[in-house]
Amino acid sequence: MEFAIDVRDLTKVFEGKTRALDGVNLKIESGRIFALLGPNGAGKTTLIRILTTQIQPTSGEAHVSGLDVVKDGVEIRKLIGYIPQEMSVWTDISGYENLLIYAKIYGIASQERGKIINDALKDMGIIEFKDNLVKTYSGGMIRRLEIACAMLIKPQILFLDEPTIGLDPSVRKAVWEKLVSFKREYGSTVFFNTHYMDEADLYSDEIAIINRGKIVTMGTAEELKHHVGGEVIRFTVEVNEISEDFLEKVRKLNVVNEAVADDFEVDISVEDYEEALPQVLEVFRIEHVSVKKVSLTKPSLDDVFVKYAGTRLESTERIREVRQVRDRIRR
Amino acid sequence: MIDFMRNMLAMIDLELRRLRHDRTELYTRAVQPVLWIAIYGPIMSGVKAIPTGGIPYTDYITPGVLIQSTTFVSIFFGLIMVWERESGILKKLFVTPASPYSIVIGRSMSSGVRAIFQVLIIVPVALLIGVRFIPNTAYFMFALLIIFFSSGGFASISILVASLMKTRERFMGIGQAITFPLFFASNALYPVKMMPPILQYFALFNPMSYVVDAVRGLIVSGDLTNLSIDILAIAVFDAIMFVSASIGFKRIIE
Repeated sequence: MEFAIDVRDLTKVFEGKTRALDGVNLKIESGRIFALLGPNGAGKTTLIRILTTQIQPTSGEAHVSGLDVVKDGVEIRKLIGYIPQEMSVWTDISGYENLLIYAKIYGIASQERGKIINDALKDMGIIEFKDNLVKTYSGGMIRRLEIACAMLIKPQILFLDEPTIGLDPSVRKAVWEKLVSFKREYGSTVFFNTHYMDEADLYSDEIAIINRGKIVTMGTAEELKHHVGGEVIRFTVEVNEISEDFLEKVRKLNVVNEAVADDFEVDISVEDYEEALPQVLEVFRIEHVSVKKVSLTKPSLDDVFVKYAGTRLESTERIREVRQVRDRIRR
Repeated sequence: MIDFMRNMLAMIDLELRRLRHDRTELYTRAVQPVLWIAIYGPIMSGVKAIPTGGIPYTDYITPGVLIQSTTFVSIFFGLIMVWERESGILKKLFVTPASPYSIVIGRSMSSGVRAIFQVLIIVPVALLIGVRFIPNTAYFMFALLIIFFSSGGFASISILVASLMKTRERFMGIGQAITFPLFFASNALYPVKMMPPILQYFALFNPMSYVVDAVRGLIVSGDLTNLSIDILAIAVFDAIMFVSASIGFKRIIE
């Protein structure tokens, strides 16, 4: 089976000291949307820059559509589209002119250019602004113009480095809708870096987490969440003091991994809450601990990330809250 | 090779489109050379201390001032490259099938486009002031061609410098620090023979001297004795700069 991207033992050492990639192995089937998640400095951008033939690896191998990134750079560049993290259009000419320059660079025949460019602009919903200077565009429009530019050659693989960074949530959604329809139309493989968990969760077929230059885990969002294991059932109870004896009884149940108590709350970590809940409630009933409220937390991609990357991407407020829960459960 | 030409033309096309949308820079950059020709030239002509070979002093300096101003335009081209590096434009260009050399040389050459427009603004002003050009269209066109190609070389200097200075702020000062020494240590305002020996030696390796000499011969003095040497020197200068800039450009990307 031909992989769209096939990376083996890839390393990149900058200036002889900074080890940005440290033995990356990765195989991505064609036609998938693949998300690479990682904290800052994990090696996300370095990997994308090697795969797009901008920089060369220090050792190891990487193939894009079966072509070697070191030897077949020119061939690869004919097949791929790339949207860097930073803005990559000229702002002092119009949207149409931006695409025209690229159409010329890609060697699209002059009689076809107009139609291809207009189609791309139409698909991205910015055709009515095509003659306006790009400096008058909004952030979301610029991103869509960049996607339109990548569409010109109907790439086999589209590389996106943080495609929606700094955009409003509604604009992010609109950009992703365009990307998904782009992929559907051309059957392209989409490879993107992001630090937005929800985007990886919603739009990708497969996710890999990279940390300190290594791929630490890979799978579908569901698989990854499953690996973290453990759903947490939280019982809000009416008694302040929960005895250790009671917790021990709960822990003895086969379906329970861990149980901890704090003030008016008992957190119980289980594999499958549907199976566990009746048995746990039975213990509460026998021990005369009356329950006021039951709530359930399923592991999120966030938890997956914390488990594998050892750090969190979300805002600090949420970090503290979630970490407290986790600490309590671990204790 | 066809691809190479196509990419260069695409880069030149880009520059023409930019100019079509906004020409203010062309006008503001014309202010300084116009002042040299309209004020400095006439005042210094009164001194009559500079041997110009019988040409009025203002006429003598006009080619030099033209070249200085087009060089300035070219040198600041590196600034655009730095900006394009800070944005993602260069990265994206690098991920197209276009060879990086065609991009660098194309970008350098497109500075020639700006330079030509600059000349076309300054020359009518010079005519109004009373500078007498040789009424030979072929010579004038040839001079434009020389300016076009030498601008490419100067733009390459700035791309090379831009690859060393990675921020715009650092680059700003460097632009002036390159242009003025080239200008003063050339035959733009006075013959090389008037300079102290060490500067004369420097002027020998100063590409601007050759460009000024060629353009002066073609449009003002009619003295074409050194034209072939001038053209050879400009060709060598361009070749060296294109190669170094291309190497430097790769570093900009890394």
